[in-house]
Amino acid sequence: MGRIFILILFLVSGTTSLQAQEIEVCKNCEVKTIQAAVDMAENGDIIRIRSGTYKEHDITIIDKSLMIIGEGLPVIDAEMKGTAISIRAENFSIEGLKIINVGRSHTNDFAGILVSNSKNFEVKNNRLDQIFFGILVERSSDGIISGNKITSNATNQATSGNGVHIWKAERITVKNNEVIGLRDGIYFEFVDESEVINNFCKNNLRYGLHFMFSDNDLYKDNVFESNGAGVAVMYSKFIDMQGNHFKNNWGSASYGLLLKEINDSVLKNNIFENNTIAISADNSNRMTYIDNDFKNNGYAIRIHGAVYDNIFKQNNFLYNSFDLAYSGHINENKFDGNYWSSYSGYDLDKDGIGDVPHRPVKLFSYLLNRTPEAIILLRSMFIDIIDFSEKVSPVFTPDNLFDNFPRMKVIKHD
Amino acid sequence: MLGLLTSCSNEPQPIDYGNDNCNFCEMTIVSQVYSAQAVSRKGKQYKYDAIECMVNDQLQNNYDMAVNLVANYEQPGTMIDVDNACFVINDSIKSPMGVNLAAFKKESPVVRDGSEGIFSWLELIAHILQNDSLNKSH
Repeated sequence: MGRIFILILFLVSGTTSLQAQEIEVCKNCEVKTIQAAVDMAENGDIIRIRSGTYKEHDITIIDKSLMIIGEGLPVIDAEMKGTAISIRAENFSIEGLKIINVGRSHTNDFAGILVSNSKNFEVKNNRLDQIFFGILVERSSDGIISGNKITSNATNQATSGNGVHIWKAERITVKNNEVIGLRDGIYFEFVDESEVINNFCKNNLRYGLHFMFSDNDLYKDNVFESNGAGVAVMYSKFIDMQGNHFKNNWGSASYGLLLKEINDSVLKNNIFENNTIAISADNSNRMTYIDNDFKNNGYAIRIHGAVYDNIFKQNNFLYNSFDLAYSGHINENKFDGNYWSSYSGYDLDKDGIGDVPHRPVKLFSYLLNRTPEAIILLRSMFIDIIDFSEKVSPVFTPDNLFDNFPRMKVIKHD
Repeated sequence: MLGLLTSCSNEPQPIDYGNDNCNFCEMTIVSQVYSAQAVSRKGKQYKYDAIECMVNDQLQNNYDMAVNLVANYEQPGTMIDVDNACFVINDSIKSPMGVNLAAFKKESPVVRDGSEGIFSWLELIAHILQNDSLNKSH
């Protein structure tokens, strides 16, 4: 009996706290500005913003768990005067807003939505345009950023910020967003145990996605197209990279993926297409590259600096100018069981594996590593001759760099 | 002969923001308030996206530079010689490689406070050497 009483008490108290107040904001409502609604709101309230343009900036929400919902895509015009919305709270959500004209600065990171020292939050289905930083999260945890469309027309690096910028945070999910025309599409610095899934990053000046000092993260099924460079993963470890599409990152020093000081990570099922350099790896150790497709790149993989214990297997190398550029010793790196479109061996026993090992490093790529200007000789008869002679008797290229089990047919990846 | 002479000039070339890559970390140089550059005695140009990259590059490779310039935090896009600069490390400065470091003119009011975390060029090198900035020390 006592137990039931407690249950009833719990239910009653539960419903009273659930009776959240709803505050409506519109031009003809009692409450006309978003800041006024925030000021009068209590924990757990809903603020419903009707369509219209609200010329407000530095809307500040401190320690209130609110649900902010835009109906009919209301516009918050910050009139180039700083951040549109700043929040420091737990358990809140912001959805359905359009935020435009965020201020620019060299020394302040003005953002469309700034989330600071917060926990359990959701920022979804917002539209941000003509912004400096888009969604900026710092010193926070357990957040979801999904379905936002962030655009700007960054032409000048100095006056552009990042689309989704996360600094010192844990367990953040960045999902189904579109980020077009910023500096870095998505930026992680000191962000652990987080996920970046199914985002589309295009025409960003620097990188589509950028990891710095971030560990134990996953990025999966994203498309990185025509950015300054696709993705940079730097000074990080235990990064899981799966099912991403890196394409059209062209330019003299452009990459699909730049790996710098990254260890113990996996690259699986990714597609690299039409990049100047698909992967440039420097000081990256204990990495596994498996089931990736490299199509029509200048270089598929360029390795320099010390790299140890990397495994490359079941990848397709299709029609790249260079499949592999490599300097230094073999260092326990393994290149077995890949398909190389440039393989010219045979398979007499018909087991699908070439009978002659394949040497993926051409002498010319070795020369290019030392003298980049020599690229002018590409496709010349002279280069074909020296490549052939090097293949027959290797002198400069690592003589034990073989694929011992080159596949005869393109490997099908699901 | 004239060509040879000019090619050996130690005149720093302006950084092409958005196109030049950092000589140390390979990131594209984008920020006009954190960048740095150097010219070797033979006239080779070195450009960096962050002051900490320039320091680390020189520490690791023992470069001997004729010119060392750093971006003036208070006047984006202008460079100052390291000998005329003061370096500030503070959490509110978000430099690209995580050291929270920027440069100011020596006579700037910001650095007159005499507060902690202000370094001269040589002190900065010693500080970074000690902390190994890229080792996630914070």
